[in-house]
Amino acid sequence: MLTLFKARSVITMNPSMPRASAVLVRDGTILEVGEAENMQPWLEGQEWELNEDFADAVICPGFIDPHLHPSMAAVLLPMEFITAMRWRLPWGDIEPVTTAAGFDQRMAELHSSKEEAKPLFIWGYHQLWHGQMSKARIEAVSSTRPMVVWHRSFHELYMNDAAMAMAGIDPAHIRPGSQIDIDNGHFYEVGLGFAINRLNPWILAPEQYAVGLQRLKEVVHHGGHTTIGDLATGMFNFDAEAKALAEQLEGEDVPFRTRLVAHGTRLTQGGRKPEEGPELASALLDRNSHRLQFGRHIKLFSDGAFFSQLAQMQEPGYIDGHHGEWLAAPEELERHIRAYWQAGFQIHVHVTGDLGLELTLDILQKMQDEKPRFNHGFTFEHFGFSTPEQIRRIKALGAQVSANVYYLHELSDSYAKSGIGFERASQMARLGSCFEAGINTTLHSDFTMAPAEPLNSMWVAVNRRNHVDQVMAAEECLTQQQALEAITINAAHAIGLADITGSLRAGKRADFTVLGQDPLTCDPMALKDIEIRATVFEGRVFPIE
Amino acid sequence: MSNILPITLIGGYLGSGKTTLVNRLLADPALPDGTAVLVNDFGDINIDESLILSQSADGTVIGLSNGCICCSISDDLSQALDQLTQLRVKQVIVEASGVAEPARIWQHCHYPGFAPKAAVVLVDASQIHQRLQDKYVGKLAQAQLDQAHLLVISKTDLNPAFKLNRLQPSISCDDPALVATVLGWQQSTQPAAPLPQTVQFGAHTWQQQQDLPLAVLRRFLREMSDQVHRAKGWVKTDAGYYQVSAVGKELSLEAVTSLPPGAQLGLVFIYRLDSDAHTGGFAPDQITMTLSG
Repeated sequence: MLTLFKARSVITMNPSMPRASAVLVRDGTILEVGEAENMQPWLEGQEWELNEDFADAVICPGFIDPHLHPSMAAVLLPMEFITAMRWRLPWGDIEPVTTAAGFDQRMAELHSSKEEAKPLFIWGYHQLWHGQMSKARIEAVSSTRPMVVWHRSFHELYMNDAAMAMAGIDPAHIRPGSQIDIDNGHFYEVGLGFAINRLNPWILAPEQYAVGLQRLKEVVHHGGHTTIGDLATGMFNFDAEAKALAEQLEGEDVPFRTRLVAHGTRLTQGGRKPEEGPELASALLDRNSHRLQFGRHIKLFSDGAFFSQLAQMQEPGYIDGHHGEWLAAPEELERHIRAYWQAGFQIHVHVTGDLGLELTLDILQKMQDEKPRFNHGFTFEHFGFSTPEQIRRIKALGAQVSANVYYLHELSDSYAKSGIGFERASQMARLGSCFEAGINTTLHSDFTMAPAEPLNSMWVAVNRRNHVDQVMAAEECLTQQQALEAITINAAHAIGLADITGSLRAGKRADFTVLGQDPLTCDPMALKDIEIRATVFEGRVFPIE
Repeated sequence: MSNILPITLIGGYLGSGKTTLVNRLLADPALPDGTAVLVNDFGDINIDESLILSQSADGTVIGLSNGCICCSISDDLSQALDQLTQLRVKQVIVEASGVAEPARIWQHCHYPGFAPKAAVVLVDASQIHQRLQDKYVGKLAQAQLDQAHLLVISKTDLNPAFKLNRLQPSISCDDPALVATVLGWQQSTQPAAPLPQTVQFGAHTWQQQQDLPLAVLRRFLREMSDQVHRAKGWVKTDAGYYQVSAVGKELSLEAVTSLPPGAQLGLVFIYRLDSDAHTGGFAPDQITMTLSG
């Protein structure tokens, strides 16, 4: 059976034919993109159907988020959100709550609407908007239901007495100095680890985790994705994750495929040499199923977390003089990179600061000197801070960029004021320059670090407005065309799937995202609010209510 | 408070000899029963399996992976510490990752049921000067030195003339007292229970603010408590600069024309702690009073 999809317009991302009005599909594969009248030869003597559901809509190539973390999402998504920023989730929009009173009121609503006696986990608290949290504030909502309020950064949480009792935390055993303010039910940094170890039976319970992955599936679908990248498979526990992913993200009802990229240092942890890594990583391909596919890709790490200001910065560093962290010694990173480079892998390196990027560029230069490779796909992941000179090096060394552009929206204002100063904060995610240089550049959410909404990422990249509505380095804005490339064909290149998806042309899988408005011609400020009507994964329609 | 377990942190950059030191501690008969060792389980580790097995009756070795503690929901160090509370453990040695800043891990040792005891940092005599200049890890190497309570100088055979001109307690890997010093180093005044039958060490640094008559310095050093294991540093006297080095009863006072680059004026004392009275006959406060007049 052939299906002929007609649309108001088809955006193909095939530069030889950027626009069309129809796509003909057989068994999940595109037979032809173009005008229906040209497709007659395919239809002669065949059974076919016309699908005009999208006749007034715009068909785009299916969106791709090349870097998110299903396992982290599975932990977060079963929790209730009270956040200062808008989060659009399939089960309802999370409207911003920006006052202390609003936060307390929302806690009370959640408490009264939820089944009694079940613990309530709330995520998204931030003192900047929600005032100083305390056990007393939580107790005022309920002293009987266990309640945990988690900070937006994940680095601290607050509990009421009922939650402490549930987790088996005896206040009498906590002494001062351990980053636990027991009177306030406040656990931070080291104290957070202590609390999490005791909350894990609830957070990581298999049925809870399964609920989390089911919710992730909905989030991915509602964001309009048809392909995602899990860019650190094995970050918690390899076998448990692989099993849960196979159960929840494979099957006819799953409207997307996942490129699995193993966490390289976890893979060889436990006394194995980095040089054994490529063989271990290659063996993972035996686990592949239709939607869940490892490739010859590996994930490695350079410098610390962006949200914690642990990115390694070149001079003049941070205003307060602190410095970032290396996640591995530079020699160890080099040794891992060399092992996978020699074995012909595509290497993805987490880099956040411009010193982290500089180190990784130096290593890549060394690899090119030792064993030159073309089309190697070496990818800089996150790409927080960079310099114009580094853009040239990225191009010269044949590497590519996968950027978390949302940093710019949420953090550029605060990093300008209390991080690294306005100049460098405004130029985070130097993406216009990447396109200018001809570097393959894509956007990701790193979900749960940012909303898994490609149109939102596109909106940030095109408008570069931060959360106080200030335009940051307008020169680095992408055009709508560039931003759409970033979340489709460029993303497919970044995770090694450009031969099957990322654009619409004969021979590729029929992966579409169906939009109510045209993302290339709409008002740029309207991008994030474009209606997503449906996705099509390998020819099958998955409507979005 | 006797149920608070002390943690000795072993830090130092990649290749500085942390694993070698851990192996020596594990092999040493002086290692008290019930010592748990948490090793940094990243890349290839060379902990000798037979040593782990021979210790397993009383002690235990647990691997830590090199996760970002602050950002990982599965925080290996705190999980390992929680596991230890289930075992009959009396003290803990943590081998930090080569890129860890001791002060940051120190915070993590303030875990319920535990208290940090000392941060011991390995210094590779053949590499450290170069490393301090390194574009990527220079600041980290500096922070590791600055945050150490006891420096252990390794690989001196590769650089016999090595000197670290810092006013900071240090011991060479070749020193026969190495294991006892590392195990006994007691920096923290936290109420962790001192282990019976082990010698505890502490250090005190006196910074010289004004010139000192040479005679006062000589008399002070001669009459110093025999609890002082080691004293060293540079002092400016009415007769010029002197380099001081005292090991037990052996005293060396050497006139120098100028201070070596980077050296500070003052003395560092390494002294034994008595198990029931932390300072015993050696009173750090009195040094300041005596020497500063």
